Amino acid sequence: MHILAASSFDTGLFFQQIENGITLGAIYALVALGYTMVYGIIELINFAHGDVFMWSTIVTLSVAQALHIDHVLGGFALVGTLLLLLIVGILTSGGLNVLIERVAYRPLRRAPRLIPLISAIGVSFILENVAQLWKTANVIAYPVFFPTNAITIGSLTITYLDIFIFVLAVALMVGLNVFTNRTKMGRAMRATAQDPEAAALMGVNINQTISLTFLIGGALAGAAGVVYSMYASSVYFLSGFQLGLIAFTAAVLGGIGNIQGAVLGGFLIGIIEALATQYVPNGLAWSQGVAFAILILILIFRPSGLLGQQVPDKV
Amino acid sequence: MSAPSRSKGGLPLFQPIRDGWNALVARLEKTQLLGRSLLWYITGWRLGIIALILAVIYPQMFDDSYVLAGCIIAIYVLLALGLNIVVGYAGLLDLGYVAFFVIGNYTYAALSRGYLVNSAKQVVPVPVLSFWWLLPLGALFAGIAGVLLGAPTLRLRGDYLAIVTLGFGELSRIFVLNVPYFGAANGLNAPPAPTVHTPLGDVDFGNFIDHTNFYYLTLALVVIVTLLVNLLRNSSLGRAWVAMREDETAAAAAGVNLVRTKLLAFATGAAIGGIGGILNVALVPSITPDQFTFNISISILVMIVLGGIGSIPGVIVGAIVLKLFDQILLNNLNDYVHGSPLVSNPGAPLHFLAGNDFNQEKFLLYGLVLLGMILLRPQGIIPDRRRQREIKEASSVESASAVGVLAIEESGDTLAGLGSAPDVTEYVGPGSDAQGREG
Amino acid sequence: MADGQTLLAVNHLTKQFGGLAAVDDVTLDIKRGQIFSIIGPNGAGKTTVFNLITGIYKPTKGEILLNGRSIAGKTPDVVLRNGIARTFQNIRLFNNMTVLENVLVGQHAKLYGDLISVIFRPPYYRNAEKRALDRAMELLAFFGPQMVALKDEYASNLSYAYRRRVEVARAMASGPQLLLLDEPTAGMNDSETAEAVGYIRRLREQYGVTVLLIEHKLQVTMNISDQIAVLDYGKKIAEGVPAEIQRNEQVIEAYLGRKAATA
Repeated sequence: MHILAASSFDTGLFFQQIENGITLGAIYALVALGYTMVYGIIELINFAHGDVFMWSTIVTLSVAQALHIDHVLGGFALVGTLLLLLIVGILTSGGLNVLIERVAYRPLRRAPRLIPLISAIGVSFILENVAQLWKTANVIAYPVFFPTNAITIGSLTITYLDIFIFVLAVALMVGLNVFTNRTKMGRAMRATAQDPEAAALMGVNINQTISLTFLIGGALAGAAGVVYSMYASSVYFLSGFQLGLIAFTAAVLGGIGNIQGAVLGGFLIGIIEALATQYVPNGLAWSQGVAFAILILILIFRPSGLLGQQVPDKV
Repeated sequence: MSAPSRSKGGLPLFQPIRDGWNALVARLEKTQLLGRSLLWYITGWRLGIIALILAVIYPQMFDDSYVLAGCIIAIYVLLALGLNIVVGYAGLLDLGYVAFFVIGNYTYAALSRGYLVNSAKQVVPVPVLSFWWLLPLGALFAGIAGVLLGAPTLRLRGDYLAIVTLGFGELSRIFVLNVPYFGAANGLNAPPAPTVHTPLGDVDFGNFIDHTNFYYLTLALVVIVTLLVNLLRNSSLGRAWVAMREDETAAAAAGVNLVRTKLLAFATGAAIGGIGGILNVALVPSITPDQFTFNISISILVMIVLGGIGSIPGVIVGAIVLKLFDQILLNNLNDYVHGSPLVSNPGAPLHFLAGNDFNQEKFLLYGLVLLGMILLRPQGIIPDRRRQREIKEASSVESASAVGVLAIEESGDTLAGLGSAPDVTEYVGPGSDAQGREG
Repeated sequence: MADGQTLLAVNHLTKQFGGLAAVDDVTLDIKRGQIFSIIGPNGAGKTTVFNLITGIYKPTKGEILLNGRSIAGKTPDVVLRNGIARTFQNIRLFNNMTVLENVLVGQHAKLYGDLISVIFRPPYYRNAEKRALDRAMELLAFFGPQMVALKDEYASNLSYAYRRRVEVARAMASGPQLLLLDEPTAGMNDSETAEAVGYIRRLREQYGVTVLLIEHKLQVTMNISDQIAVLDYGKKIAEGVPAEIQRNEQVIEAYLGRKAATA
């Protein structure tokens, strides 16, 4: 029961959990980016974002099944499969997110904040239940096709998959950073987030910019969905609800609206969750509760998050 | 710039229905009975009386499966009335209302059977309280929980509050799932509601063959809670709630203590949720944590949005419609479809529906109702008068607004006006400035 | 306390947003019975001073004393209970409540809003409601019979000048010692402005309320004020009776000159 009390501290175990946390955190960070970008630009908690992520997992599962992938691949077959699944996942989630914005949020953009949130909950319900009708309410096994080898450093085991997930996530984040800071469209996005009125006066097409934000946010969630299925080796129609809440917590922890914050928050939450699973008595059962507890504590004590700025209310 | 304005919002598709409805109303208005129009007899409080009479004779007209469904409907009417105080009156979006339902359920289950089982599978004696004591006690516990949860969180902005309440709702389920005393995943059994001895004879509320008495009990509670909610609405507290919902800052500056006023909404709503929970266990005999998911919170929210946020008759109708659908219609639909020769015969064109349980599509439909109502008729089936004004006003202000952030782009439907106060002012602000020739 | 004694003392009040000082070391001394105006160019920090006094913002530094008791950092409803009521620059009425309901909400602090009172409606609850209703009607009557006739109209249906009046009535309903008016004549034509000046004076005479005013129209401030403070970039650059302010070089430079240049 009480692992911490019963055994002396195991450093290897500790670092193993940190490593697990980093991998998980990379996935959380990718999903958190979508929450934070959308919130940054239209001040909406995209409640359906987790389900957009989930749709990447179920669509790519179908592709993998259609291709009869059921064994470990190597060489070109592996690279080709990964590329294909990433493209499918990114297109699914990116496209879905853009569609959702167009149908469910854009008509309500001038409504009070809680109204699009209710509409987002409706969308989330629709996405989950269509997925359930399609894939049943069962947890479905995801084929293992990525080499299961690992590097061992002392007692620490790092699988190739962990490395792949980390490298992919970091590459996407660097790409996002370059995009938002170096390109014209990225600047338009930041300008709109700062002050949509002024941005529009400077000739920024607001609708297009918002669509682009949803596209990128969805795409990152799509990529996360692909690697998450590989990591968890399973697919479940409610995975987006659970993971989405954790990723939202990460975004809030980092400071919602802040891109670096979402990345930081994602990794932190991943590590905290991994450590909690190990060191909190009965940790696995409570692990979801841990994320909620963190969320509630941040919102109460530091709603602006770690990297966010306190903004005065307009009076 | 703006899309061509539709008459009153809504789809042209439904125009014939609207026309038919208007014609019916006009005819009812013209027809006189004892010096009043027929319309008079079926509007306002008189409609409430008619509904109550129908509700009273309902168990006499249908068999017990329908009476049981009636009990469940009544419990959800209570829940919808409770959540409506929080969402409709105070403008706080509570996505974790199920937490208070859980408290009611487990209060009754834990304190009605005399024992609990601890993690070592030992029986621990627990005092037994009667159903009639637990009914107010469940309300009290849930109300206290509402205050405890609300006190630290009600300062949060509306959308953050929504997510935090969702967290509490999920935590309540994770909590009962992980505490051995509450039976973990197996949940708890509880005795049914008791028999009451009266001079006129025994009244058995816990009869599982004939639910009529229990039905009348829940109906009585619905009537009491409806009257109570109506009292709250038309009081200084009700005014403060509306003021706070419309403009938090102005309400505070006018002397409304925001935290206290929000807490009262939270606590009252929670207490009603607790009563619903007590009734639920007394009706269903056993409960498990997996019954108390996010789906419950959302179902109740759907009832409110469907009926009309803030409107008492609206949310009652919303709850009845949705639960009628859920408890009666879906099962009948299943029986009907599965019995149809087009489905049942192998090789029939619709045979693929043979194994389909329409209950599975239920929540998909809830999602569609939620999205559809918010986009097409945010005021609900029976709108609250004030809410309807808020919606109209917000859209008219928007059309008048020249400086609003998003006036730059083409507008689709312009529907607004629900939700918490600071939001309203933020969005309405620039518009009213334009109207008000502000310098 | 008699007229002429300090009602509200603001000492070294500072409010920073990020690194920017919106209000910078401002000191004001408002005497009981005065009409005291704060003027200054746009963005000078006038409304921020109001928000600090009424508890909407918490000061970074400095004191706010009402009758010698600190009210700095108290929430808006507590500040109101202590006797300071306000209006807003952009009129913040409860648009979907009637005129009468708006004025009743203004008296919320004097009413019983707890569950027991509200559900059981004992005599003290009903009496308080009755008194509130009487006071609301009296205040509406103060603004003229047209106002009384409009009592059941929704606030959003009123004309601009009437909406201003309802907001003042709502603020006065609580029976404040100090009334804060944020640009009460903004957007009004000459005759409406004259009426507003008239009722501000009458409020002081009839209810003995002290008035703190933010006003852009110099003809109004010069005509109505006992004392004027001038803010620029969050700092107080001058204070005095109207005649002194009109002659003050710094004021003309900072405020009048700049305004003339942009006009």
